[in-house]
Amino acid sequence: MHIPDGFLNTATAAATYVVSAGGVGYSIKEANKKLGEKHVPLMGVMGAFIFAAQMLNFPVMGGTSGHLIGGALAAILLGPWAGLLIMTCVLIVQALVFQDGGITALGANVFNMGLVACFVSYYLYRAVVSLMGENRTGTLVGGFVGAWASVFVAAIACAIELAVSGRSPLGIALPAMAGVHALIGIGEGLITAVVLSFVMATRADLLELQKV
Amino acid sequence: MKHSFIDRYSDLDSPIHHLDPRTRILTTLAFVLAVMVTPPTSWLAFTLYASLMAGLVLLAKLPVRYVLKRSAVVLPFVLMVAVFVPFWGRGQVMGSYNVWLWRVSVTHDGLLVLWSVTVKSWLSALALILLSSTTRFSELLKGLEHVGVPRVMVMILAFMYRYIFVLADEVMRMQRARDSRDVAPLRPYGGGWLWQIRTVGNMIGTLFIRSYERAERVYGAMVARGFDGQVRTLNDLHFRRADLGFGIVFSAALLTIGLITRIA
Repeated sequence: MHIPDGFLNTATAAATYVVSAGGVGYSIKEANKKLGEKHVPLMGVMGAFIFAAQMLNFPVMGGTSGHLIGGALAAILLGPWAGLLIMTCVLIVQALVFQDGGITALGANVFNMGLVACFVSYYLYRAVVSLMGENRTGTLVGGFVGAWASVFVAAIACAIELAVSGRSPLGIALPAMAGVHALIGIGEGLITAVVLSFVMATRADLLELQKV
Repeated sequence: MKHSFIDRYSDLDSPIHHLDPRTRILTTLAFVLAVMVTPPTSWLAFTLYASLMAGLVLLAKLPVRYVLKRSAVVLPFVLMVAVFVPFWGRGQVMGSYNVWLWRVSVTHDGLLVLWSVTVKSWLSALALILLSSTTRFSELLKGLEHVGVPRVMVMILAFMYRYIFVLADEVMRMQRARDSRDVAPLRPYGGGWLWQIRTVGNMIGTLFIRSYERAERVYGAMVARGFDGQVRTLNDLHFRRADLGFGIVFSAALLTIGLITRIA
């Protein structure tokens, strides 16, 4: 879902850049306030962690494979602002080093896979946990729902940006993107739930970290 | 550690490699923006942009096949999003065909959109490949900091870059461990779909705990050495006459291409 250069019109690219830059600026301030100077090495190593986790492929269907996107996992473990900061770093490296996502579309990509994905997943996760209780089931269901929704809603945001830019009619792009990513989201949700379950079994204190 | 995928060819010796990173960053940005605002029907402009890139790739002594292969990275998105547009777009119909049960029409506007996104994303990818294959990541970060990217962001990116190699090694060791325990060679990675999801999830969980603990050790080591939230580095960037020359020539080329398309 990394939008390359050339797909967005100037207005959409500029608008998403402004919103994302504001969000990232605020997230740096939040991280600095809550974690102090520790946030620099922590966010950096966590960015490398998401990057490395994306190297692990799992089979999807019919011989294709997918990998974790990780925005939801970062947001649930460390908080939505920290998640946004980490995903922004991952997206910058992907754009600059691998041309995965364009440089003029960076704002839109940060908006979709950072802002939207992290906040949707984090608050859905909190909502599910407060409904089902602070137990294993609540955490796992919350992780699955949050991660699934992060992929689904990010894809919808992506489809809207492409339609607003006049690249593909909304009536076709929206159902297609939403449909495909509703399936991809299942993998993201399951993996996120397994990771949470593993962390709970080995170092449960890491789930209680201060959220940024 | 064998991760040549980052910084590949950035240690070559060519006039482009010797430019100041700021020059390369700003000219790349100018090129991508110029391509972005070019109307899709300016065939001449796109030909000239492509020739400009081809010239620079040759000047930078990059292997042409490697650059072309890398630039194919934009294709999946083009195929996924834009390839159906010509059949659904509104406007002047260029041709209709009967494909089995369906009547398929191709519209002029739709084809134009497909052409526009394909050529623009490809040209922009070429420019970014040129940037990343001629600039070491550490240089790139230094350049980014001096063209206005917030210092904290650059510091976080520098940490990330430092530990990508360490954690990528960790992932490769875990993959090797998993594959060597694989008892069913006919089914890669053993069991069924859910089993594989669980294995990958556990691997990522392990990776998270190890990464978090590593981050704490790194921070502790930094504090022990007097870290106070500031990273001080030498500024060894030099904006030379060659940078000025390259900047002027490149901007002039972009402006000329823009003017030609206005007149034509």
